[in-house]
Amino acid sequence: MPIRVNPRLIEELDFFGAEDVQYCYHCGDCSANCPHADEVFRFPRKWMRTLQMGLERKLETALEPWLCYYCGQCSEQCPREADPGETMMSLRRWLISRYDFTGIARLFYTSKASEILAIVITGLLTGIGFLWYGLHFGNIHIYDGPGAFLPSSFIHTFDLTLGSVLLVILLINAFRMWRLTLYNERSVPIPWWLYIKRIFLLPWHFFTQKRYAECESKRSTKIFMPWIIHLSLMLGYVIMLVLVMAFIEQLQLGPEIFWPVHVFGYAATIGLVIGTIYFIRSRVFKQNQVQYKKSHSTDWVFVVLLFIIVLTGILQHLFHRTGLLEVANIIYIVHLMAVVPWLLRMPFSKWAHLVYRPLAMYFASILRDAIKIQEKKESPVPSPALG
Amino acid sequence: MKKCKIGVYICSCGTNIAKMVDTEALREYISALPDVAMARTYKYMCSNPGQEIIVQDIKEHGLDRIVVAACSPRMHERTFRRALATAGLNPYLLEMANIREQCSWVHDDPVTATVKAKSLTRAAVNRVKYHEPLESMSVDMTASTLVIGGGIAGMTAALELADSGHYVYLVEKSDHLGGNLARVDLTAPYLDSARDLIVERITRIRTNKQIEVHLSSKVTEVKGYVGNFTAKIELVNKLDNILHYPDEVKIGSVVVCTGYKEFDASRITHYGYGKLPNVITSFEFEKMIQSGRVETKQGKTPKYVAIIHCVGSRSQEFHTYCSRVCCMTALKYAHEIKSANPECYVSDIYIDMHAFGKGHEDFYTRTSEVKTLFLMYEKNEKPVIRAAEPDDDCEMLIEVNERLSGEVIEIPADLVILMVGMEAREDATEVARLVNISTDKEGWFMESHPKLEPVATTTDGIYIAGTCVAPKDIPDTVAQARAAAARILGKISKGKIDVDAVYAEVDEELCAACRLCNTLCPYSAIEFIEEDGKGHSHVISALCKACGTCVSSCPSSAIKGRHFTDQQIFAEIEGMLA
Repeated sequence: MPIRVNPRLIEELDFFGAEDVQYCYHCGDCSANCPHADEVFRFPRKWMRTLQMGLERKLETALEPWLCYYCGQCSEQCPREADPGETMMSLRRWLISRYDFTGIARLFYTSKASEILAIVITGLLTGIGFLWYGLHFGNIHIYDGPGAFLPSSFIHTFDLTLGSVLLVILLINAFRMWRLTLYNERSVPIPWWLYIKRIFLLPWHFFTQKRYAECESKRSTKIFMPWIIHLSLMLGYVIMLVLVMAFIEQLQLGPEIFWPVHVFGYAATIGLVIGTIYFIRSRVFKQNQVQYKKSHSTDWVFVVLLFIIVLTGILQHLFHRTGLLEVANIIYIVHLMAVVPWLLRMPFSKWAHLVYRPLAMYFASILRDAIKIQEKKESPVPSPALG
Repeated sequence: MKKCKIGVYICSCGTNIAKMVDTEALREYISALPDVAMARTYKYMCSNPGQEIIVQDIKEHGLDRIVVAACSPRMHERTFRRALATAGLNPYLLEMANIREQCSWVHDDPVTATVKAKSLTRAAVNRVKYHEPLESMSVDMTASTLVIGGGIAGMTAALELADSGHYVYLVEKSDHLGGNLARVDLTAPYLDSARDLIVERITRIRTNKQIEVHLSSKVTEVKGYVGNFTAKIELVNKLDNILHYPDEVKIGSVVVCTGYKEFDASRITHYGYGKLPNVITSFEFEKMIQSGRVETKQGKTPKYVAIIHCVGSRSQEFHTYCSRVCCMTALKYAHEIKSANPECYVSDIYIDMHAFGKGHEDFYTRTSEVKTLFLMYEKNEKPVIRAAEPDDDCEMLIEVNERLSGEVIEIPADLVILMVGMEAREDATEVARLVNISTDKEGWFMESHPKLEPVATTTDGIYIAGTCVAPKDIPDTVAQARAAAARILGKISKGKIDVDAVYAEVDEELCAACRLCNTLCPYSAIEFIEEDGKGHSHVISALCKACGTCVSSCPSSAIKGRHFTDQQIFAEIEGMLA
């Protein structure tokens, strides 16, 4: 059965950032250069082609874009300046919009205005809501403990509710990702026990991002900075997320410092500050590596919001300790006005890769095993299309 | 036979000959042969000092025959003939023994190689004794020229010649000038108007008094030889196809620029040309663009346009060659469609993209910038076009096994443009016979040398230019037309044409008038002369290439090849076998 070409897809991917894919003439240098491409998972060339031809049904099933960490070596040496690295990035954005059942991701990627409007409205609603709550039930002169302006028990309930909403959306989308990439469209049968055998890969890739470091395996002068920064930023907000979801009461205590919890808070803050400044600097000055040369509007929304969150978090903490409790409370509301839209936006933006990337590594490894089992069972199977 | 004084010169060719042939032993052996006055060896006979030795020896020792044992005569026969002439000896009194290409280069045993070199040189010595002094002649050159075909090649050649002050008869079969280029809208890659190119030329031709244009006319007869042809030009009546008013002209040269015709797309059945209304050829699309409206047969603006390359070209069933212009033309269409309607999607389905010329690669890049979808198909797996179902949003679907992805895909299309290739015209063989040139297996006219003589033919005075030789684009066609004109102008400015002294001669007394040679001659150089009821064949020496076909075929041994007489050949064989 032939696959129908959708010539419009290449135009659509413009919105997701793949602006130069049409220049590619398929020399395959990018695939030869990529430290992660191999016999089973061939990229980027193959997917540049699939995108050029608009084979939507095939693109949806691709795990390959998630196997790329955008070290940029492909784009550095592309003879046509077709920017394969950015194309893989754009494909990840597009895949996020495909996995997302709500359609919000697609809306945000295709319309800058709608995204900013949604963030502003969510931020304002959050602000108005918490201000109303504080003024009615709390005392602006108290930051923590009984009668606080925004009591930590209330915030805790709010956080958990928000977290559950996020979790449900992400779980549904992750299920859709599994259905597209492993369940549909794959020619090899996948034994169920492979899912158990390989489950350890999920936390492993999540916490080490080992493959990002492996991007440098072929380069003569290895550049580990983006990996280290990325890792510390990610660990920073994961620790913060755990603190906020489970230890908000202890975190909000003061003015004395509660070391068993706060030490994690400080560590996470350092990671976040370094990461945020590094990425903003790279994107503004377009320096360092090729991956910071092009910034999608959604990239900016993420770093700017994160910057506000980190800044207001630190200020809040400082004002709490110095006794300016009214200012701390007001900053707390500003903090929440950034946190809520930032978190709610997560499943619909590039930062859903927090979930999708480890999942893709896990799925890819299962698929690889399944193919090996199949090959052993049968005589040699025809090799997949050229990389 | 009178005694002669032969000088033999043995070349070492650096070490090329000397490393395999013992040149000193060869010299000693040859010196001992009868009639050999002297034999010498030298490092490089072809060098100026080498030639000087021969000249000096001829003058001092009164040598009357020279043998040079060295490389192939193709390499240096002219050089040594000139040396003989310098010394005042008839240049045809030279014979060369090829002891390099046919001896030292191809053997690895010095002993047997030396034996062979002796035989070869001995044969040359035996032959040269029978050489006769020959004189070359020259014939007059008529300055006017006949140009057959009024396309861009014919018009360019005619203008080039006429602008230099020489008379040109320009004969065109159709009722207008411009040829195939007149059917084209814009040209790739600079998107200049084809019309502008032609109109300027037609105006110049119409106002040029040195050009006599014959429209709706055919050349029906070309007789004579280089510098001295006569041709008959006749008017073709379109209605009854009867020729009228023959016009006889005297010309010195002919330029054939009869062009090409396009491949008939209906021969490839799975493209559905002629059955599917929206499958059209590139020329039909040119007409569409010229009229300013790109639309389907139903009058709708197409959303999807597909362009299929190599229709009739680069395939085993039709033509194996590349038609050279279609890739750029296809890019031009993609460009034109996209500029007229940016909403339209263009798929360009090719085997290979040939963007070899000046500015072509840039044009390809520009076309890919506007997101033309380039798809590659396997040479022997042609795309298949079928009508779409009513619920599809397109008129047709094209199924292709796409090579760069390895996927079998389906491309939507409302309009399909078939890039039809070029093929030789049906009347190419007729024209070839008329001017006595050859065609290759595809029907294209043959050059006398594909690289070094691209516009000359095996018949002197007949030149070919443009797409009647092989598919080519406008710049190449114009270059060839101008090259042909330059060749002719060179001959005209010399005024005379030298004819080689080596040609065949008929002994009228011995000729039995069987006329066998008349039909065998590949250059049509033999005419039959009838006088008082008695006839005999006669070789036109200006046309003869001294191939020897007539000499060997004559049942009465009435034909003699000058410089290749029976006596000379037999002497050579005897020398070889002695």
